[in-house]
Amino acid sequence: MSRILLITGSRKGIGRYLAEYYLKKDYVVIGFSRSESDLTHANYKHILLDVADEIAVSKSVRAIFKEYKRIDYLINNAGIASMNHFLLTPLSIVSKVFETNFKGTFNFSREVGKIMSRQKFGRIINFTTVARPLNLEGEAVYAASKSAVETFTRVMAKELGHLGITCNLIGPSPIKTDLIKNIPKNKIDDLIQMQAIPEFSEFKDVSNVTDFFLSDESKMITGQTIYLSGVN
Amino acid sequence: MEKSRVKDIIIDSFNELLETEGISVEVNGNTALMGSDSVIDSLGLVTLLVDIEARLSDEDVEISILSEKAMSQKNSPFLNIESLTEFISEQI
Ligand SMILES: NC(=O)c1ccc[n+]([C@@H]2O[C@H](COP(=O)([O-])OP(=O)(O)OC[C@H]3O[C@@H](n4cnc5c(N)ncnc54)[C@H](OP(=O)(O)O)[C@@H]3O)[C@@H](O)[C@H]2O)c1
Repeated sequence: MSRILLITGSRKGIGRYLAEYYLKKDYVVIGFSRSESDLTHANYKHILLDVADEIAVSKSVRAIFKEYKRIDYLINNAGIASMNHFLLTPLSIVSKVFETNFKGTFNFSREVGKIMSRQKFGRIINFTTVARPLNLEGEAVYAASKSAVETFTRVMAKELGHLGITCNLIGPSPIKTDLIKNIPKNKIDDLIQMQAIPEFSEFKDVSNVTDFFLSDESKMITGQTIYLSGVN
Repeated sequence: MEKSRVKDIIIDSFNELLETEGISVEVNGNTALMGSDSVIDSLGLVTLLVDIEARLSDEDVEISILSEKAMSQKNSPFLNIESLTEFISEQI
């Protein structure tokens, strides 16, 4: 039977890559974003929603469960960033970043977690960033929102551990997507020089880690974070 | 949905939980779901509430039992089967 995988933020960037990658592995993939996706595949379904919308998330997850009868994997990839000195950051931006990055991760984890807890199996992967351990200037709000995601994931791992559900984090270093396209080149170069491996990461470096977390053999791996490029 | 149906769903779910935990007790409206009289612990209560929500959803009743309202009530709706039946019925 095909594995059922939910990926948030699958319209573009890393989420889009992961959707296509797992479709190639014959998974059934259900993706989410706020705007329409042009990905078409017999085993792909796209649902339009804002991950911060509690009711929309809970309705969609229940409908998916009714249709597919199980949910094996959840990848909470949807995320937004705001790069600015914090003295110049309006509170409305803080709200937006936390709505998507933290509340979105929370909403999906809770609703899918309920289903996984009943089937006594599940794998949840959340997204953090190397900006968190590096405490990067200019990324205070974004890094703080990912700190929230990290702590939440580690506690969730404890609360769900006895139910056969693992919860882990991947923290990419810079990958060329729209998320970082507006960051000045010299800032990205400085950041890359702080890494043990001073290079851009690629999409396949992410799927290497997600493969590990999703694997059946990783049943004893939970509450862990893997950062790319040797940052910790 | 009739209140009696809500109660049946709660009792069915509770009985199933007891069975998996290997506990046998007589279940009725006064059966405690929390506190020192309860045969299930707090994790058991979480499992029970998640399962009841799913059973209601199977019958097209979509509610979230764990609302802010549920947590802020002076007398917890999760005290026993009767209080939970009342609380869920009010929300439907
Ligand atoms: N790229 C990097 O260098 C890098 C580094 C470290 C961590 N990360 C993390 O990796 C994840 C993916 O980033 P990315 O680089 O692929 O970003 P991206 O290219 O900007 O894509 C973000 C995706 O999330 C969706 N999305 C954003 N807000 C949403 C919301 N409120 N509700 C539903 N969907 C939403 C977007 O679609 P819509 O706009 O249609 O909603 C889009 O599909 C993020 O969590 C990010 O923090 C990225």
